[in-house]
Amino acid sequence: MLIPHPLLGPRDAQEFTYLGDASLMARPDPTRADAEAAFSDYVFLRDNPAGVHRELWFHEQGDRSWLVVTRDTVTHEILGAELARDVKLSREGME
Amino acid sequence: MTDLTPITALGAETARMQDFGVLRIAESTDLALASLSLRAGQDAPTPFGLTLPDAGGWASQDGQAAFWTAPGQWMVEAEGRAVEDFAAALKAEAPGCSITEQTDGWVTFEITSERATSLEALMQKLVNLDPACLSCGTAARTGLEHMSVYLIRRSDTCLAVMGMRTLADSLWHTLATAAARLPSEA
Amino acid sequence: MTRLSGGLIDRDTTFAFRFNGKTYKGHPGDTLASALLANGVQLMGRSFKYHRPRGVFSAGSEEPNAMVELREGARKEPNTRATVAELYDGLVARSQNHVGPLKYDLLALNDLFAPFFAAGFYYKTFMWPRAFWEKLYEPMIRNAAGLGRLSMEADPDAYDKGFLHCDLLVIGGGAAGLAAALTAGRSGARVILADEDFQFGGRLLAESHLLDESPAPEWVAKTEEELRSFPNVRILPRTTVFGVYDHGIYGAVERVSDHLADPGDQVRQTLWRITAKRAILAAGATERHIPFANNDRPGVMLAGAMRAYVNRWAAGPTHKADDPVAIFANNDDGHRTALDLMAKGVPVLGVIDPRADAPQLGDYELFAGAVVDETKGRLGLSSIRVTQNGKSQWHRCGALGVAGGWNPNVHLTSHHRGRPVWDETLLAFVPGQGGPSGLIPAGAAAGNGSTAAAMKSGVEAAKSALEQLDILSVSTPLPKAEDDASVQAAFWHVPGKGRAWVDFQNDVTVKDIALAHKENMRPVEHLKRWTTLGMATDQGKTANISALAVMAELAEKSIPETGTTIFRPPYTGVSLSVLGGGDTGADFRPRRLTPTHHWAKAQDAVFVEVGPWMRAQYFPRPGEVHWRESVDREAKAVRAGVGLCDVTTLGKVDVQGADAGEFLNRLYSNMMGTLAVGKVRYGLMLREDGHAYDDGTCARLTEDHYVVTTTTANAGPVYRNMEFARQCLWSELDVQLISTTDAWAQIAVAGPKSRALLERIVDDFDLSNEAFPFMGCAELTICGGLRARLFRISFSGELAYEIAVPARYGHALMERLMEKGADLGVTPYGTEALGVLRIEKGHAAGAELNGQTTAQMLGLGRMVSQKKDAIGAIMSRREGLAEDRRRLVGLKPVDPASTVTPGAHLFAEGAARSMETDQGWITSAAFSPHVGSSIGLGFLEEGDARMGEILVAANPLEGQETRVEVVSAHFVDPEGVRLRD
Repeated sequence: MLIPHPLLGPRDAQEFTYLGDASLMARPDPTRADAEAAFSDYVFLRDNPAGVHRELWFHEQGDRSWLVVTRDTVTHEILGAELARDVKLSREGME
Repeated sequence: MTDLTPITALGAETARMQDFGVLRIAESTDLALASLSLRAGQDAPTPFGLTLPDAGGWASQDGQAAFWTAPGQWMVEAEGRAVEDFAAALKAEAPGCSITEQTDGWVTFEITSERATSLEALMQKLVNLDPACLSCGTAARTGLEHMSVYLIRRSDTCLAVMGMRTLADSLWHTLATAAARLPSEA
Repeated sequence: MTRLSGGLIDRDTTFAFRFNGKTYKGHPGDTLASALLANGVQLMGRSFKYHRPRGVFSAGSEEPNAMVELREGARKEPNTRATVAELYDGLVARSQNHVGPLKYDLLALNDLFAPFFAAGFYYKTFMWPRAFWEKLYEPMIRNAAGLGRLSMEADPDAYDKGFLHCDLLVIGGGAAGLAAALTAGRSGARVILADEDFQFGGRLLAESHLLDESPAPEWVAKTEEELRSFPNVRILPRTTVFGVYDHGIYGAVERVSDHLADPGDQVRQTLWRITAKRAILAAGATERHIPFANNDRPGVMLAGAMRAYVNRWAAGPTHKADDPVAIFANNDDGHRTALDLMAKGVPVLGVIDPRADAPQLGDYELFAGAVVDETKGRLGLSSIRVTQNGKSQWHRCGALGVAGGWNPNVHLTSHHRGRPVWDETLLAFVPGQGGPSGLIPAGAAAGNGSTAAAMKSGVEAAKSALEQLDILSVSTPLPKAEDDASVQAAFWHVPGKGRAWVDFQNDVTVKDIALAHKENMRPVEHLKRWTTLGMATDQGKTANISALAVMAELAEKSIPETGTTIFRPPYTGVSLSVLGGGDTGADFRPRRLTPTHHWAKAQDAVFVEVGPWMRAQYFPRPGEVHWRESVDREAKAVRAGVGLCDVTTLGKVDVQGADAGEFLNRLYSNMMGTLAVGKVRYGLMLREDGHAYDDGTCARLTEDHYVVTTTTANAGPVYRNMEFARQCLWSELDVQLISTTDAWAQIAVAGPKSRALLERIVDDFDLSNEAFPFMGCAELTICGGLRARLFRISFSGELAYEIAVPARYGHALMERLMEKGADLGVTPYGTEALGVLRIEKGHAAGAELNGQTTAQMLGLGRMVSQKKDAIGAIMSRREGLAEDRRRLVGLKPVDPASTVTPGAHLFAEGAARSMETDQGWITSAAFSPHVGSSIGLGFLEEGDARMGEILVAANPLEGQETRVEVVSAHFVDPEGVRLRD
């Protein structure tokens, strides 16, 4: 597979390490009353869609950027890739 | 000056150099390295007058050079300053930045050839990068035989391969094996 | 000899080669098959199941029959197709799959028992008695099965891999592929042209057609020359593109020196991983046959292959030059073979065509509305029976060309769930929708079979690819070429009583398919497994469609209704050697050497692999015969004097930034932000699920600069997690990370005399306990000005330091410390002694931090701060985890002579050995020279409250039981006085 790195262009997937669902970026607020339940969901429960999936890839043998890659798990088509840091910062900006 | 005698990454007193047809692989031992990272909200400095390059770029000027390593992070190179505290010198040039000494984190093999095509032919056997990522003035990090390396194209006739210092022997072995196998017309 | 005139062989050079011990002659340009045919050799092997005599059937990689063991000794390669084995001087080959000589195969007996070997034979026969399977059936089958035999020696050759990138990959260098490559090459695109053959041209080399009034090979040569002149075009002959992977990645094997007797300095094969923006599949087509009774005798071959042998290789298909040749064709294309044979002076018996209205294309006898329905000839075809209008007649015949139509080579288009579709006009499957994106079929592979249509389709495919890439295409004038549509009848097999072979290599006949149908194994997937159709090394390239047609006829369905066959990679077999590629032995994977590696080697250290690292395990001294003598000596030397150990392998991460402290607070379970400058703190990281993950130290060099260490094993993953935290969780924090593991050589200086030793190398630095107490850190200079970092930390429990210098000085520093400490008894120690010292001190390591343990279990519960959040903090308090009452304890054998074994489980004395009574397990053990016996660490239920209790450590795997006493995990200096001294 080729991962379209937003800064470096297409790079072979072998340069990357896969983590999983991008929902891992949404770490629950530890001060919530139900924090333990929220963390339990966060740690153990993931969607596993046949289709479009937003997921985390680490450019380990590259620039060490974490990317949010949108991939169709059925066709392996990659619909986009963003720097996770940008995604995180813009999401926080919206909140 | 310390009275301790350094050894090269390959474990010798002097740098190793070997010719393979038109290719020459030479270990560089006098290159000082330090990483430079921007603090939050900081503008890129111009250490030693260098304009720090964009993603994938390498820029050099008067014996110093820098290549992009990550968003907001560069590796700064200085020829002939390996035994100095180059990180301290860079810190003075880039106040406020996070500077980390990297000189001995890496082994650098400068590969030269009169023919650019032979450098490219060698890299085709070693790294899965489009040759466009290896044009003059670029630097890329990638995997090479399960080792993480920086490839810096300093000129048409020179390509530096920078690998983790503790992997120097394995990296040399890999480069030398591939270079020896290149057909003579390459 | 049946060598004819002409052909693309170099008659000026003669090669001698051996087949089954006999010497023959051939020429450059020959394949083993063509050279054998030219020598009148028709019999080339035996079939898999029935051991029937077999000859060459095709002229390419689809070959089912002519498989040989090529070369000798360690280079012997079984199951090599003679049709693609390029001839070289001195080539040696043997036929395979027979016992005794090829002509008198003892296992030919199997053929007499054919009724017992029908479809599903294995499933039906070897079912019972069950006990017979392992002892009798399997060895018997294994002995009889398998085609060629391996040399059983290590492969002596080197294999390589490489990576290519291009705009356009053209797969196949025939008419369509060359036209496509030429168009794209002239347009300036980066092109790779690959063909499995050693000569470009594909069918253009096999046909007698002219291109612009000249023989086609002339145009091929001219085109190849032009392509070679383009710097933007790379030509890869002898290269099979075997598979398509995601996003335009193609796997290809280049047979660099398979055509040489000995590769010399070159590699044998190269595995290319080609990243192509677009690709054109111009893989041509494979001819199919028409099954009829006893159609498998040597001399029966595909009509197109026969044309190739005659035209390209000047090799007649018969045993003797004057034996007549017949053609059995259901289409016009087959008739051409008769014309080409006649043009070369080969006697032609005639063309047998089941079509009543078959065309007469030349001056040969035409048997219209006729079929071949039986053959004779023990080791080669001698006669055929032709049945026309109900009348049968035998004819003397030395070879028969069979033409049943052409199947486009759609293989690669079906690699990504692409399904070929049936074309009623072509009577063949052609590439369908779906399949690999960016792969464009062209030429015969797309069903454009005539030379003109193939070339045109190649140009069009290239233009379409270039347009998609925004590359302006230049026009490519094409030579004038034949454009005959081959009219074809849907005639699939000749019905009859005899056995009609469909899949030659696996001996599957029409009868087997009928039986599968009768036994309801009708879906193609079942048919395949029941009969083994298409499961041989040729993957049924010449058989699958015929089989499908027979099944369709039996099921009274159309072919597309019956099913389709799709293909997985590889297109043809790929050797494991080339897939493995690269180095073997010691260079199999990269090895990390510590900065003192060469020094340790000079001391005759014994090394151990620790992940990618080579570490000194122990340093034997003269007279020490057992490793434990060395290890005990090293461990004792540390406790009594001073020892040195290279600990560079620990991961080191530089953490800087205004929020570095806060960042580390969130990573480590304990507080790091409050650490004073010039201090080190032990840190524990949890996983987000609450389990203990990794430990190490944090040193605060300045207000906004920390250096943290990780365990050796987790250096990579911990750094990755730190970057995850920085970029994905808390990107608002001002923190910068970079690994510095390799930059610093770090040496542990441990033991009561460590301070005395260090005092001899530091430059004007106060090492006294007051000035530089336990858990202090400092940047300083040593040995006359060398910058260094000093940490007062201890893994051994003794007064100890770790000193770091730029890596290039590690070797010299070790030498200096050895020299300066000689009178102090300084001793280098390896990982074994390191392990002994830490077990004696009760420090957790990999066996304790195994991903299943918690901070509480490790006795580090207080390190999980309740005042702040950190990764894993919330989940560490969850139900089930927080209540875990197993605790780290020390274990000592009651009988000091017995041994504590890691992995043993702990039980109360007299209790049954069961899950319910299990009290814990032993994680680490070593012989402790300090205690004077074997000791261990382990996790025990309520362990912290059970000191002095006697338990049984049971290791039922080895029938071992040891009575052990529960003691403190700190066997040495439990109060921790020494390290603070």
